Amino acid sequence: MTTVAIRLAETKKRRRSPLVERIALVVIGLLVLIAVFGPMLAPYDPLKVDLTQALLPPSAEHWFGTDVNGRDVLSRTLAGARITLSATGIVLIITLVLGVTLGTIAALGNRVVDEVIMRITDIGLALPSIILALGFAVALGPGLQSAVIAVSLTWWPGYARLVRSVVREVRHAEYVEAGIALGVGRWRLIRKHILPNSLDIMYVQVTLDVAAVMLVISGLSFIGVGAQVPSPEWGAMIAAAAGNVTNGWWSLLFPGLAIAITAISFNLAGDWIRVKQDPTLREAG
Amino acid sequence: MTAMGENLLEIQGLSVGYATAQGDVEVVHDVDISVPRGRRVALVGESGSGKSVTARAVLQLDQDARYDGSIRFRSEELLGLPPKRMRALRGSDIGLVFQDPLTSLNPVMTVGWQIMQPLVIRGVSKREARRRGIDLLGRLGVADAEKRFDDYPHQFSGGMRQRVVIAIAVIGEPELLIADEPTTALDVRVQAQVLELLVGLAEERDMSVMLITHDLGIVAGFAEQVVVMKRGRVVEANDVDSLYRSPQHPYTRGLLGAVPRIDGDPEQRLLAVSDFSEEA
Repeated sequence: MTTVAIRLAETKKRRRSPLVERIALVVIGLLVLIAVFGPMLAPYDPLKVDLTQALLPPSAEHWFGTDVNGRDVLSRTLAGARITLSATGIVLIITLVLGVTLGTIAALGNRVVDEVIMRITDIGLALPSIILALGFAVALGPGLQSAVIAVSLTWWPGYARLVRSVVREVRHAEYVEAGIALGVGRWRLIRKHILPNSLDIMYVQVTLDVAAVMLVISGLSFIGVGAQVPSPEWGAMIAAAAGNVTNGWWSLLFPGLAIAITAISFNLAGDWIRVKQDPTLREAG
Repeated sequence: MTAMGENLLEIQGLSVGYATAQGDVEVVHDVDISVPRGRRVALVGESGSGKSVTARAVLQLDQDARYDGSIRFRSEELLGLPPKRMRALRGSDIGLVFQDPLTSLNPVMTVGWQIMQPLVIRGVSKREARRRGIDLLGRLGVADAEKRFDDYPHQFSGGMRQRVVIAIAVIGEPELLIADEPTTALDVRVQAQVLELLVGLAEERDMSVMLITHDLGIVAGFAEQVVVMKRGRVVEANDVDSLYRSPQHPYTRGLLGAVPRIDGDPEQRLLAVSDFSEEA
């Protein structure tokens, strides 16, 4: 009996080998470094067209081969990290700021405030990001910034709803009431008691959304309202290479791998952050 | 009872109502309770008798409740007090011990952080607050207080957590401590320890205590005066000896009769409160 109990406790403690999480964090670190220094690391100019070198398979000279226009895929993938990651990052920052602020105000404000904010989120949720991006592309000219604005505007309402529902629950928690009974002010109550207990779910949501946002931005690039043609944005690279699956799979595979590795790493990191954030999941120290 | 001037807390003609879909529902009617300085008063009644609502009215924790009557603390009228002044009283002059130590602690903050909070929000330096917090936690019987200060609530047992909750309530050195069923979530042995701690603290600091409980078994050893509530009204108020010796109200007799006694006749069944309450 006792041995069973002890073993159960052990498996619960080490739910996953920390090695996997560590690798994911190292990969994210590398990605960030590539995003910052990528263009400098690239062995070739990622934009230089040389049709005599078109569709060369991976070799010592071109590790990832060349695309249909003779551009070095490795250089483009490295340069693309900055574009894709920063666009995704900007979308998520805008989304988080808008979502958390408006969601919290809706949850804690009076009924009128709540109603107004929630109807605005309804509008945001009803608009498909593609239509919105097309509109911005017409107004601002097609480009990555139109895609970023469009995705941000359609993404935040989901966050606002999530934050609102969690905050509404947490503000009635007994420890929040205990805070009131101690004379804790409104602002401190929100900052120290309500939000820290509401937002842990957001960390996971954000890291899972890195992959989703990345795909939407790449999708918008694919239909021509996101990153424009010579740009080595990963989604745009895949779109441009889609016609060469049979005679140049490498020009498709490597940016695809880049997206996949980034997405998986952020998902693993999300788990890790959740455990770090929640003291009840942390190992007793 | 004591003269009015000596009462730290003086509740007079208090009614509490809530606006509901069925209209205004009044749950506490015309209640008078006084807590003399340095004394311990127990507020006793069954679930739903309005004892908690009455106690919470003192701190005005329910935003949507309607209060009528008068609650005077140190002769200051609390009802209708500006929110800012009310907030200043909470935690520093009137402390509140919650019922359930499992849910009344913030799970993502360390125990020490929460004990320090009432001092920190009133401008005491972190170092000083920490020193006093560790000192108090140690005096409340938490072993290794210094080490455990930076632990999280989930690393504490129920009884230890209730000590933390008490520490949070009394670190601001309030004159009045309201304890809302502080021992309900604890086992009997820990119950006794916690009550003993409260008596010790109250005597050491000359602090008045209002204990809310449904358990007459713990009242005799704790309180000097007892107020019995039923259906939102006070049915009897007396000092503890007189009340136990000669309960005046049939409901009080019912409550006392419902407590199992070690020297009772094993053949006789326990009385139910309902055996008495209809006579009222």
